[in-house]
Amino acid sequence: MNAATDAILKLLIVDDSNLIRRRVERSQRFDRLRLVGSAGDGVEAMAAFSRTDPDVVTMDLTMPQMDGIECIRRMVALKPSVRILVISALADKATAIEAMASGANGFLNKPFTERQLNDALAELLR
Amino acid sequence: MSSAAPVDRRPVLLIAIGAMLAAALGMALGSGFRLATRLREDIAAVQAASALQAYPDELVREVSGLRERLEVRAYTGRALTTLRDSTRAFSDRLQALAAIDHDPATLAPVRRRWHVYRETLAPVLAFHGEPYVDSDTAATRLSSDGHRLYANLERARLLALANTHRFGGELAAVTQGLQSSASTAAARLRLLLLAGVLAALVLAAIAAWLLLSRARHERAAQEARERTRDILRTVREGFFLLDAEHRIGSVWSDALTRMFGREDFAGLGFRELLAGLVPAPTIATALKYVDLLWGDRANENLMKTINPLSQVEARSVDPQSHEPRYLQFDFHRVTGLHGVKYVLCSVVDVTSNVALARELQESQNGANAQLDMLIGMTRTDPLQLASFLDTADAGLQLVNAILKEPARSDAEFRRKLGGLMRELHTLKGEASALELGGVAERLHALESRVSGCESRATLTGDDFLPIVAKLDELVAYLRGIREIAARLELTGDPAPASPGDSIAPILQAAAARLAAEHRKALRIECAGFDAIPPAFAKALKDCLVQLVRNAAVHGIEDPELRRTRSKSDVGLVSARFARTPDGYELTVEDDGAGIAPDTVKAAAVRSGLITEAEAAAMDTRAAIALIFRAGFSTMSDVSLGAGRGVGMDVVARTIRALGGRIGVATAPGKYTRFRIHLPPGGAAATAVA
Amino acid sequence: MLHERELKVFVEGTTNFFEVAAQQPASIGSPYLVEEPLALHEYSGLIEVTGKREGVVCFTAPKTMLAVLLMKMHETDFGHETMRDLVGEVANTISGNARRDFGNDFRISPPRVLFGETPPIEPRPGARTFVIPIHWRSHSAKLVVALG
Repeated sequence: MNAATDAILKLLIVDDSNLIRRRVERSQRFDRLRLVGSAGDGVEAMAAFSRTDPDVVTMDLTMPQMDGIECIRRMVALKPSVRILVISALADKATAIEAMASGANGFLNKPFTERQLNDALAELLR
Repeated sequence: MSSAAPVDRRPVLLIAIGAMLAAALGMALGSGFRLATRLREDIAAVQAASALQAYPDELVREVSGLRERLEVRAYTGRALTTLRDSTRAFSDRLQALAAIDHDPATLAPVRRRWHVYRETLAPVLAFHGEPYVDSDTAATRLSSDGHRLYANLERARLLALANTHRFGGELAAVTQGLQSSASTAAARLRLLLLAGVLAALVLAAIAAWLLLSRARHERAAQEARERTRDILRTVREGFFLLDAEHRIGSVWSDALTRMFGREDFAGLGFRELLAGLVPAPTIATALKYVDLLWGDRANENLMKTINPLSQVEARSVDPQSHEPRYLQFDFHRVTGLHGVKYVLCSVVDVTSNVALARELQESQNGANAQLDMLIGMTRTDPLQLASFLDTADAGLQLVNAILKEPARSDAEFRRKLGGLMRELHTLKGEASALELGGVAERLHALESRVSGCESRATLTGDDFLPIVAKLDELVAYLRGIREIAARLELTGDPAPASPGDSIAPILQAAAARLAAEHRKALRIECAGFDAIPPAFAKALKDCLVQLVRNAAVHGIEDPELRRTRSKSDVGLVSARFARTPDGYELTVEDDGAGIAPDTVKAAAVRSGLITEAEAAAMDTRAAIALIFRAGFSTMSDVSLGAGRGVGMDVVARTIRALGGRIGVATAPGKYTRFRIHLPPGGAAATAVA
Repeated sequence: MLHERELKVFVEGTTNFFEVAAQQPASIGSPYLVEEPLALHEYSGLIEVTGKREGVVCFTAPKTMLAVLLMKMHETDFGHETMRDLVGEVANTISGNARRDFGNDFRISPPRVLFGETPPIEPRPGARTFVIPIHWRSHSAKLVVALG
């Protein structure tokens, strides 16, 4: 554990539901995160990404407008060090693989328990 | 492989020991060589020392000889030369001895004494003049030089005489010293040689052991290779390793050949392996997935959940076959010190499992549903069919209404079962009577689902999901029949003049089918059905079907039994409808076995309707009335024909709903007669449940 | 004509949400068929299905139930937007389950949220709508499957 990994990381939540945002905020792992923005669709997400330069992104894949995979790809291209957790009810494998191949670092299926969220965030912040 | 590591360490140890032994052997040989050289020198020295030993006596002899020669005036030249030679020889040898001598202490007294000797001898040896003076007159006499020589000689002789013994002793000591040194060296050389031979022997032994153990290892490795080969040849799963370029390694199981119809796996790309067998998008996804495995980003459990080939439909390798196959791929990372070394892939053909599941589903769907629907319909009287479809629609709506009643508790769910069973059973009876096999089967399946619920410990909505799905399927099926019937104009005609007319053929068909199914001979007589008021038609038809079924299944005996009872082989069931002063009367009578009160009691006890005690206290009349109780059945097996405990209670309920009453009269071995009284008109006729 | 398995997938998607998100399982009531247009509760999350089957699958719930559900999820905001998000999430879960189990047989739209006065759900031509009551605590919602 060096100082860098203990630093507070900037978080962007991309999900059209506020519920998810608040659940992430309530997570135990949130002590290492600072919410810098949230977005409800892909276009908003890219705007927020450029504006806030987040270190960590949680990303829903089933959104209106731009598709989540494309979003991931663009974010990774802009900032290769960004860590992306897909939080989605996507469930079909090809999409999950596509997300991972596009640069996501993990995924969490909706619905999820507090514990699953904590574990996924811990794995992401490792 | 884990057991091989400790075995490997032993030869290393032995090689180290061997190297040390070889070094020791080299050192032994080296010092042996040095010892041998020294031994040779020692031997030479001993020889030299032995030669020296003779010198003191020799000197005494030569000096004495020279003196005597001077006394007799003999020629001294040669004797002098001899003395000089032997003195020089002694000096040289002593010099040589000193050069090689390893024990200066022993040689020191010799050298000291020799020094005195040489001092004393020096004037003698240095003599060069003429010792004699010749004269013609007198005899030859000594010259002054001769006198001096003589005196010197005399001194040397006295010295030599006085020292001979001691000098000899000292020289002997030197010789002895050299000899003992030589023999010590010889002994050491012997020891060294012995040690060398021993070391060589041990070395040879180690070399032999190493060779042997290597051969043994070679054999063990060979066996292990063969065993691995055997496993790979025999195992039913396909196994192979993938490298970072998606290429198959040099090892794979033979099952792959069967699965993929090829043998050239070494170096084959994963893409090429799958090409043509699974769709291109799936291959692309699979390759991405394997890349992710190499990337080692997500943990294996997470990765497992997104394996795109966990069950994949693959084209058969046999070009003639169009049967799809299902393959299950599993991927495991094999990691080494530097991350993922390769990906182990196992493949299983799960076609049979999948096919089984499919078959199960398809059999439920009924593959020839359409066909049997058509056959059933063409055999059915169009009017009866139309009437049945209406009945069925109404019945299934009632079923749905029962389902729709809210339920959360087990009791609430359980309450639905009875109503569902009654309704479905009635419909099934009619469908069987009309020989609508497909409908009857579906109703039977649905009824089985419902009756299956009874035995569940706790009922929940989940138990009702299959019921509602089956109900939907049945509704769809009946709609299909209606549609086809309409197209074939089977139901195009208006309703018959009298609704009762359609009932007799239904009963005839039911009787014929039941007789065939139960290996009985029976004939059915219908009378007065044209008088059945339309309001009663449907309800009475249901009742009649049920009553005829009971008569055929339970009443009429086997032909053999009938003969023993002096009855005709063919049983008779008669159904008569007639007006009465206070309404209508329907009588259904068979000349069968009658109802035995004890059998009814026993069955009721078995079904849990009454206790043994209650049964014992019951009179014949009360016992026979038990057949109208819900849940009563005398048949233990469940078939489409009868049983299940629904039947007479439905009839009784129906009649009561019509405002009528039902009674039964029976004589064991002779007959059973049901008599139904109905009120005039039939205003309350629509309420069934 | 909908197969039992398909029905189960949608039902599991729904009950799964309650079990996971609210840590309290929901039970299903007695399912039945409807041939008429079906009215919905205040809030509904709906997914449109195309492909092997066509139609809609819809989770519809009264406000009171959603409020309690939010409470159990430690949510403090019970506003209109949160309610909408919640039924959207349930629909999302149903859609995820369906995608996983039906693969390419079904194409499923992103969830749509309906609220207030909404047009009733029409059965698909020639088919019936399945209504599966969802009981959770003392509340009831409906899962409506109208596919043909």
